Amino acid sequence: MRVLIVDDEKLARDRLRELLNEIGGHTVVGEGTNGNEAVEKAAELNPDVVLTDIRMPRMDGLEAAMHLMGMENPPMVIFTTAYDQHALHAFEVNAVDYLLKPIRKDRLAAALDKAKKLTLQQLHEINQAQETPQARTHISVHLRGNIRLVPVQDILYFMADSKYVTVRTTGEEHLIEDSLVNLEKEFGEKVFLRVHRNALVATSYIKGIEKSTAGNWQVALTGLEKKLDVSRRHAAAVRRWARR
Amino acid sequence: MAIDTSKLAAWSMQAREQFTSGARLLRDRLLPRAADATGRLLRLFAPAPATTADDTHFLPNFCRGNAIGGIVLIAELLAIVITLVTRRISENLFQDLLLVSLFVQWIALSGAATLCAARRFLDRLPNSRALGFAYLLLLGVVLVVSEAAVWVMWLVGMVGSPRPEWYAYFHIQNFTVAAIINALALRYFLARHQLRQRTLSEARAKIEVLRSRIRPHFLFNTMNIIASLIRSAPDKAETAVVDMADLFRSMLADSENLVPVGNEVAIAKKYLDIEMLRLDNRLRVDWHVGKFPRKAVMPILILQPLLENAIQHGIEPIPTGGTIDVQLREENDIIHILVTNPLPRARSKPPMGTRRGPRDMDVASAASAATPLPSERALDNLRLRLESHYGQAARIEIVQEPERFSVAVEIPIRGETA
Repeated sequence: MRVLIVDDEKLARDRLRELLNEIGGHTVVGEGTNGNEAVEKAAELNPDVVLTDIRMPRMDGLEAAMHLMGMENPPMVIFTTAYDQHALHAFEVNAVDYLLKPIRKDRLAAALDKAKKLTLQQLHEINQAQETPQARTHISVHLRGNIRLVPVQDILYFMADSKYVTVRTTGEEHLIEDSLVNLEKEFGEKVFLRVHRNALVATSYIKGIEKSTAGNWQVALTGLEKKLDVSRRHAAAVRRWARR
Repeated sequence: MAIDTSKLAAWSMQAREQFTSGARLLRDRLLPRAADATGRLLRLFAPAPATTADDTHFLPNFCRGNAIGGIVLIAELLAIVITLVTRRISENLFQDLLLVSLFVQWIALSGAATLCAARRFLDRLPNSRALGFAYLLLLGVVLVVSEAAVWVMWLVGMVGSPRPEWYAYFHIQNFTVAAIINALALRYFLARHQLRQRTLSEARAKIEVLRSRIRPHFLFNTMNIIASLIRSAPDKAETAVVDMADLFRSMLADSENLVPVGNEVAIAKKYLDIEMLRLDNRLRVDWHVGKFPRKAVMPILILQPLLENAIQHGIEPIPTGGTIDVQLREENDIIHILVTNPLPRARSKPPMGTRRGPRDMDVASAASAATPLPSERALDNLRLRLESHYGQAARIEIVQEPERFSVAVEIPIRGETA
C-alpha cells in the first residue's frame, strides 16, 4: 500500500519508515509534519493509508482526518499516539485503529492488514470525547479534486445559499458543503455571530454596526466595502453583542 | 415486662419536684447551651463546601443494619448517662434505666427510621440544606415521640390525664436534650464526611502530582524516539536512556530536597537534550547562567517544569519551533530565574475592530480567553511549592505579551544547605 507518514517528530517518522520497510509490501509516498501538510500531501499524493500522530502543531491529527474524510477518495487513517487518555477511549468505542507509541512492528502490520475506512461520524464522536472538543482551525475547500485549507481566522463571514455556503475571506470566496447551523454550533457565537438567517459573521472583523438609509441595521467588516444586512430577528442579539 | 406503677408514680412526683429546679437549670444552663449548639449548627451552614460532584452524602445510610446497631448502642449509652445523672443510687435504678432506655431507644429508632425514609429526599439536597432538614426532622420526631409517650402513660393509667402538670417540662426537657445531642451527632457526621472527602481529594492530588511530574506523553514519546535511535544511532540512544534515568530519579526524589543551582541546571540540560532529540532543530535554547555562590541552593525541579512549560506551549505548537531564553543570576542573595518562550501566532488574533482598543493587554486577554493557557496549572503547582518552602519570600511572576511569554522566579538564598 502507498503510505503517508505524518508526525511532528522526525525520529518518530523515521521509526515508522523503518518498520514499514521491514514489514515489506508498502511504499512510503511522503511525509508530513503537521495536519495541514497531511491534508495537502494526501490530496497531492493520493495515498492508500495515512499514519498520523494526534498532537501536532497548527492542525492536529484528528482535524486532519476530518478534512481527509471529506475528500472524494478518502485514504484510510491510522492514528499513532503516545498518550491521549480521552482520545484512546473514544477510539476503542468507535473501533478505529490506533497505535500506541512506542510502536510495535507486529501491531503496525496488523493495523495495516485490517485498516478500514473511518467515517466522519466516528471522528466527530472521538473529537467530542476529548477533554476539550475542538473546533476546526481550518475549513477545507475542494477545488477540482484538490483541497485548499482556509484558516478560520482569515474568514470574514459565511453566507448560505440555497444549496451551498459561501466562505468569504479578505481576498477570496469559496463554496463549501456545510450548514450554518453546524458551523454556528461548532465555533460558538464568540467567534461567529449570527446576523441574518443566512449569514454568520466573524466577530473579530466586525468594525461597527450602523443604521442604513433604509432604516435597517447593517454590520461593517474590516477589509470589506460591502455591508451585511442584519435581519430584524437578529438585530437585538447583534446590538447586545456590540454593547459588550 | 412488669411495670411497677407505684414506682412510676414516684418518678412523676420526682419530676414535679424537679420542675422548679429544672426551670432554673433551663434558664441558666440549658438554654444558653442550646443557643450555642444551634449557633454552631448554623455556622456549619456557611463553610459547607459545594459538593455537588460528590456521590457520597454526609449522612450514613440509616436503612442499613450496622448504622442502626450503632444508633442503638449510642442511645443505650445515652440512656445510662441520663439515668446516672438524674437518679440517686437506689434499688429501682435498673427499673429507671429500663424506662429511660425504652424512651430513648424509641426516639433514636424513630429518628433513624425517619432519616431512612427521607433518605432519597435528603440525598438530592445540597449538604447544608440536608443538614438543616435532617435536624428539623429529628426534632420533630422528638416532639411526636414525647407526645406519644405521654399518651401511652395515660392509656396504661400511669398518669391521670394526657396533660399531667409536668407535661410542659417533659417536652422542653426532651426537646432541649435532643437539640443538643442531634446537633452534636450531625456535626460529627459532617466532620467525618469532610475528613473523608479531604483524604480522598488528597489521594487524587497525589496521583495528579505524580502524573504531572512524569508526564506520560513525554515518557512514551521519548521511548518511541529511543526505539528509533537504537537502530540509527545507538550511541545517541544510550545517552538518551541515561539522561532519562537521571531525570526520572530527580522526578521521584523528595520534592523537599534543596540542591545547588548547578545541579538544577544540569538536570534541566539533560531534560532539554532529550527534548532536542524529539523536536530536532525546532528547539533552540539560549542559556545565560551567571556566577552563583557555593551556598546557593534551590528546591529540586523548579527550572525543569518552567522549561517543559515553555516547550509545551511555546515550541511544540509552532511548526518551525523557536528559541527559549533562560537566564539565571544571583543578586543580593536572591536567585533570579527568567524563562522566555515565543507564543504561536494563532494566539494573536487577526486585527481587532475599532470597537476595542488595540492595546496589547486587550489582545492578550482576548487571546487567553479564547484558549485558556494550560500552563497555568503547572505554574500554580510551582507557586504552591515555592510558597511551602519560602512563604512570601519567593516570587513567581508571569508576563504575557502578544508573541512572548515569560515567567520570572525569585528565590532567596538560604544561609545553610539542607
